[in-house]
Amino acid sequence: MTRRDFLTMLAAGTAGARLLRAQEGGMATRGVRPQPRGKPSGLPFHARFTDVAAQAGLRAPIIYGPVDRMDYILESMGCGVAFLDYDNDGWLDIFLLSGTRRAGPVEGASNRLYKNNRDGTFTDVTAKAGLTRQGWACGVTVGDYNNDGFEDLFITGWPQNILYRNNGDGTFSEVTENAGLLHPGNRWGTGCTWVDYDRDGHLDLFVANYLVFDFDKIPSTGKDPACNFKGVPVNCGPRGLVGERPMLYRNNGDGTFTDITARSGVAAVPPVYGLTAVAADLDGDGWQEIYVACDSTPSLLFHNRGDGIFTEQGLQSGLAVNEDGREQAGMGIAIGDCDNDGRLDVLKTHFAEDTAALFRNMGHLNFEDVTLRSGLGVETRHVSWGNGITDLDNDGLPDLFWVTGSTFPEVERKHPEFPHKSPRVLFRNLGGGKFEELLEAGPAIAEPHASRGVAFGDFDNDGDLDILIMNMNEPPSLLRNDVTGRGHWLKVKLVGTKSNISAIGAVVTAVYGGRKQVQAVLASSGYLSCNDRRLHFGLGAAMAADLEIAWPNGAREQVKGLPADQFVTVKEGAGVVARERFRA
Amino acid sequence: MIRFGLCLFMLLATGACLLQSQQPEIEAHLGKGTQLMQQELFEAAAGEFEQALALNPSDPRPHFQYAICLLSLGRNEEARRQFEQVRQLGGESRYLTYYFGRLDLLSNDYVSAIRRLGSVVEDPPSRDTAFHLGVAYVSSGDVSAGIKYLERAAKLLPRDYRVHYRLARAYSSAGREQEAAHEFNLYNQFRDEHKNTETEARACTSALHSQSIQNAHDVCHRMFDPNDPEKLTLLGQLFGDAGAFTEALDPLKRAVQLDPKSFEAWHNLGVTYFRLQRYTDARAPLETAVALRPEFYGSVVLLGATLYMVGDDDAALPVLEQAHRLNPADAQTTEILEKLRAGRQKQ
Repeated sequence: MTRRDFLTMLAAGTAGARLLRAQEGGMATRGVRPQPRGKPSGLPFHARFTDVAAQAGLRAPIIYGPVDRMDYILESMGCGVAFLDYDNDGWLDIFLLSGTRRAGPVEGASNRLYKNNRDGTFTDVTAKAGLTRQGWACGVTVGDYNNDGFEDLFITGWPQNILYRNNGDGTFSEVTENAGLLHPGNRWGTGCTWVDYDRDGHLDLFVANYLVFDFDKIPSTGKDPACNFKGVPVNCGPRGLVGERPMLYRNNGDGTFTDITARSGVAAVPPVYGLTAVAADLDGDGWQEIYVACDSTPSLLFHNRGDGIFTEQGLQSGLAVNEDGREQAGMGIAIGDCDNDGRLDVLKTHFAEDTAALFRNMGHLNFEDVTLRSGLGVETRHVSWGNGITDLDNDGLPDLFWVTGSTFPEVERKHPEFPHKSPRVLFRNLGGGKFEELLEAGPAIAEPHASRGVAFGDFDNDGDLDILIMNMNEPPSLLRNDVTGRGHWLKVKLVGTKSNISAIGAVVTAVYGGRKQVQAVLASSGYLSCNDRRLHFGLGAAMAADLEIAWPNGAREQVKGLPADQFVTVKEGAGVVARERFRA
Repeated sequence: MIRFGLCLFMLLATGACLLQSQQPEIEAHLGKGTQLMQQELFEAAAGEFEQALALNPSDPRPHFQYAICLLSLGRNEEARRQFEQVRQLGGESRYLTYYFGRLDLLSNDYVSAIRRLGSVVEDPPSRDTAFHLGVAYVSSGDVSAGIKYLERAAKLLPRDYRVHYRLARAYSSAGREQEAAHEFNLYNQFRDEHKNTETEARACTSALHSQSIQNAHDVCHRMFDPNDPEKLTLLGQLFGDAGAFTEALDPLKRAVQLDPKSFEAWHNLGVTYFRLQRYTDARAPLETAVALRPEFYGSVVLLGATLYMVGDDDAALPVLEQAHRLNPADAQTTEILEKLRAGRQKQ
């Protein structure tokens, strides 16, 4: 070998030292590795979940883009679901959003309304209700915006959002344009929530937008580094695409709305990739904040000053980014009191190779990221979506649940560790701020699906919380919860009189067996979805609970000594107006 | 983190008792593992260190490197056990104290984290020691002490957005809203800079692959920040990756001026001179790179080649021998080494 040969050899083989790791893909993923799982607690978990969707009659697949690939980000984001009682019969009905396919309409694809037959089954009443519609629906918020006693539906999507007024006779009317909610041009509405931001008793409407989307203008799959995941060409975005600002509409009280995005301060934020939006009074001052999970941009927290103006306080509150100051791929938001300290905490889901983030409410709109110390660092495998902070086994301690599913079905062929369909995630609450992941809690937990939206509610009125899940291009899952322990419960429905009739924005603190737990009446939760409006408190061994209710208009009311294992209706200013014990 | 780990690696190397027959293999695994760590391929690197440990479990060096890999992989308890092994084999060191402190912080043992990190913060093994100590204090509830160390960290790592974010949050918790706002502004500024750098790097890479060097140079020059050594090094690296070595020189020369302890800047400058066949110029940067990371095969072999090319065979021989120890599988190095040895025997 000559000196020249040696030189040639080295010239081919030498490389510069890497200073920065190459960015991969168009979404925020931290490349976080899971923490090791500790020794199982061995404590029994008394909830078991079985998917009963098929036997309940929920057999139609939810169409959303092609089955085996997702060429456009619009096809990958999926949509939400809702539990609601649209006919006021005391039994939860089901509303499922749907997408379509770019190639053309798909027979049978539509948003669907299922009426509860009160025997564990449902009947598809979509056509009868006037809700048949095929398109790219995304989010849903349920609330009685005209205070007529019947829940209305607002649906976001691309290219237009839709308002359905409940006529009270089993039918709905599409009133978007008359209500002043038809926006000019195309827009991709995502998160949406009813919120009485000015406490006038009328539900206003907040809408998050994801990004500027046009099938003909979005770069094609794999075109640049933002269209690539782990070396596999995938659909482009959100990074590299143009974000959007959210919007706020004020309810005029006459069935119409006025766009007040600019004058309310909501427009004073940079464009973001907004997804789920949730409204709740997070600082306990009686005025609802609005929190928006943003994908790969800092999430937004709009602090309600109480004078009609919101100021964005995401960074200051600790809810915008993770504890290292990095934005995450925010998908779903759950609000609940996971440490039983009487304050509303926040759980936000993210992309794969990142943890979900649990933010503990420290008061005064200050949140602390307690993800790792809570034990959530063990789970980073999957893209995570709809979620909840909710007591699934009635032990008095709210648990954590979320669904998962990839946005890139193409990737699993090269990287089996990123499967398109993945299991549900359940963390049971051990108390003391600690959670433990349970890989088995009935057959439905481990079943893999590519899921998105989730809603929690007691569809069979048996005193526990069941789970409704949107699965991409499959029928939905309906996880019936069969609780076997001795945990007691209390279910509370609030009816506003001076406040909005749905009582959206109310906060209820339950005190039971030496514990305290706060819950909020939400119009949106999880991923673009909506839960059962009735609040469900697991009470553990306690046989009774005291309630303190903060109504949306600021009034406070106490209800003492409510016996466990019943469903009560509390009317604003009138106390308990109805009690019901569910059949065993 | 890797840089300081390697300092201990060097310290411990003198005291290590190796089995002579297995030494080359161990060195090879260590060299390969270190290179993989440099590429952030921690799983693969851990495998190399495991193999080194299988050959000689009493060598503290692979224990130490393995521990750092495990820490990077989030396998914190295993990392702690490996660091314990290092302590048993080589005794206490401030590097170990630093890593134990970080592990304590990760396991929410703030009292121990504060004790350990506090004991080394005046002579810090890593520039982020004060940062972790500040975080530990804040997490323990002692916000004012946390602020003190986070302020120190902000001086040591002035462009690190993480530090400014944590400091801003700490000020906010302490009700010092004006200072919090200032730090949030700095956080936004450096976070934006970081994101801009990523965007600019993508644009530069794309231009270098799709346009002439001259046209791409205009796109890439947007990254030229004469005060940011990391950005300059990245720019030099991107030019180098595209074969534009002449264009890579300016940013890399400026980078080593700004940060003389940057291994990456020195190594890339040496590679650039080498690829431009300016072997005399390549020698000093590569010597500096090897001094900073003596176990990094890429620098060592290139320095050996440089010395060989300038005809300084006496200097080249021990360097190539070191390269061979780090990577015995490299047939070309073996061949040239034999040639050099043969030449020496003839003399």
